[in-house]
Amino acid sequence: MARDFIPGRREPEVPSGAISYFIREALRRLWISKRTSFVAIAMIAMSLLILGAFLLVSDNLERAVERWQGTSRVTIYFSADATPQQIQAVDAWLGAHRDLARRKFVTKEQALVRFRGYFNDLSDVVSQLDENPFPPSFECEVVPQIAQSGALAPQLTQLRTLSGVDEVQFDWEWIARLRRLVNLINIAGFIIGGILAIAAAFTIANVIRLTMMLYREEIEIMRLVGATERIIRGPFIIEGILQGIIGGVVAVLLLFGLFVAARSFIVPARSLLWGFLFAAFLPWTKIAGLVAGGMVAGWFGSWLSVRERP
Amino acid sequence: MIHFYHVTKKFDRYSTALHDVTFQIEKGEFVFVTGPSGAGKSTLLKLILRQMLPTEGQVIVNGRNLNAMRRGQVPYFRREIGMVFQDFKLIERMTVFENLSFILTVLGVAPKEHKKKAYSALRAVSLHHKMNAYPLQLSGGEQQRVAIARALINDPLVLIADEPTGNLDPDLSNDIVQIFNEANLRGSTILLATHDRELIRSSGRRVLSLLHGRISDEKIAAPEPVAARGGESLFVNWS
Repeated sequence: MARDFIPGRREPEVPSGAISYFIREALRRLWISKRTSFVAIAMIAMSLLILGAFLLVSDNLERAVERWQGTSRVTIYFSADATPQQIQAVDAWLGAHRDLARRKFVTKEQALVRFRGYFNDLSDVVSQLDENPFPPSFECEVVPQIAQSGALAPQLTQLRTLSGVDEVQFDWEWIARLRRLVNLINIAGFIIGGILAIAAAFTIANVIRLTMMLYREEIEIMRLVGATERIIRGPFIIEGILQGIIGGVVAVLLLFGLFVAARSFIVPARSLLWGFLFAAFLPWTKIAGLVAGGMVAGWFGSWLSVRERP
Repeated sequence: MIHFYHVTKKFDRYSTALHDVTFQIEKGEFVFVTGPSGAGKSTLLKLILRQMLPTEGQVIVNGRNLNAMRRGQVPYFRREIGMVFQDFKLIERMTVFENLSFILTVLGVAPKEHKKKAYSALRAVSLHHKMNAYPLQLSGGEQQRVAIARALINDPLVLIADEPTGNLDPDLSNDIVQIFNEANLRGSTILLATHDRELIRSSGRRVLSLLHGRISDEKIAAPEPVAARGGESLFVNWS
C-alpha cells in the first residue's frame, strides 16, 4: 500500500544509519582518489610537522626554564688573582645575608671538570692551555619568590663592589631572556604552522571540490530521490576530516622519527644545548592537539568546498 | 493529488516550455502524458518533482503548494514521490542492492531492514537474483526495472515516470507498464510520460496530450475491444 501523507510529519535530516554510510563512503572516496588525497594529506602533515617541531623545541626549552626557575642561582666569579682572604670575606658576607646564604664553593678544578662534562668536544682545546682558565666561584641558590621580587638587586650591586669579585651572574635575568625566546618560538610556530595549515585547508577544499565534480551526477540523483544536503555533504565533510586526522597522525609520526634520530645522532655529539632541545618528546596533550589541529583544518577545508552547491 | 493551475514555464523570453496548463489528477489515478518530443512532458514532470518552479501559475502536489515550499522541505517532499527516468539514473558504482539501500538510508530505515526491503522490491520486478550485480552488467530493461524497484521501495504516494520505456523493446515495455499497473493497484497515483502510442493504446487510462507546451487533448484511451475493431479513433473523448 502507498504510504499515507501525514501533514507536519518531519523526518530526521540525517537518519540514524547515515553516519556509518558517511564513514563508509568517505573511506571509499579517499581510496578511489588516493593520489589527490595524498597531496592534501601531505600538505596537512608538512604544516603540522613544522608546527610540531616549533612546539617540541619550545616545550623542551620551557621545561628547562621551569627546572632552572626552581633553583634560581646567583654565581659570584672571583678574579684570577683573588686571595683566599678575599674569598673568605665574600663567604662571610654571603653568610650574613639570608637570601644568599645557601651557597656552594666551586674550585677552579671542579669548574674545569664540569666544563669537560658539558662540552665534551671542546675538552681538547682546554687541555692545550697552559693553565686552568676557570675561576673559582660561589653558587648561591635563591628562592624563586625572592628572585622574581627584585629584592636582590641592591645586594647584587653591593656584591660586585667587594674586592676579589670579578663578576656576579644572576640566572634569573638569563631565564627571563630564555622565556622571551620560548614565547617567540611559540608565536613563530603558531604563525608559520597556522599559515601552512590554512594553505593545507585550501588544498583539502580543492581536493574535495574536485571529488564533488566527479560525483556531480551522483549528487544530482541523490537530490532527486530526496537526500538532504546534509546527507549529500556528510561523506565529503568526513573525507576532509579523515584527511586532516591522517595528516596529523603522519606529522606526529614523522616528528617522533626526527626526534629519535636527533637524540641518536645530534645530541651526543653536541652535548648540552642539544640535550636541552631534545630532552623529551611532546606530551600527549600536545600530540592530541596536533591531530585535532589536522582534523579542524580538514573540516574547514571540506566545509569551504561543500558550501558551494555543486 | 496533482493540481496544475494555469501553469506557464518559460526558460527565457523566446522559449516557453509550458503555456497556461491546467489539469487535475486524483488520488489513485493512472494517467498518461503524451506528445511529441519538445511538447513539454519532461518540464511538466520536473515541475511536479520541484526540480524547477513555474514562471506563472500554481503546482499543488499532495496538498502542498510547491511554489511556497522552502528549499529545505524539498527533500522530504521528494521522499513521498517515486521517480523513474528514461536514462534510469542508477548509481553505476553501486550494486543493485546498494542503489536501493542508499534510498533506505536516506529514508532513515534501519540498516538491518535494508536487505529484506530491497529483496522484496526487487522480487516485485523479478530481479531479486541480481542483487549483487552492477547496473552496467544489466540489460536496459533490467536497469529500468531496478530504477522502478528503487522508486517503489518506499510505497510512494505518487509515481512519476519520464519515458520509462524509451530505450526498451515493445515486450519489455509492456512488462514495465504491468509493474506500474500493480503499483497503481496498491494505491500509488501514477503519471507516466511517453510518446509511445502503442503503450497507451488499449490501456483504458486517461491521457493528457501535450503539443507545443499546451494541453491539446484530454481523453481516455479506448479499452482493448474498441481498439481491436480498427479503423476507429484511438481515443474517446473524456470530459
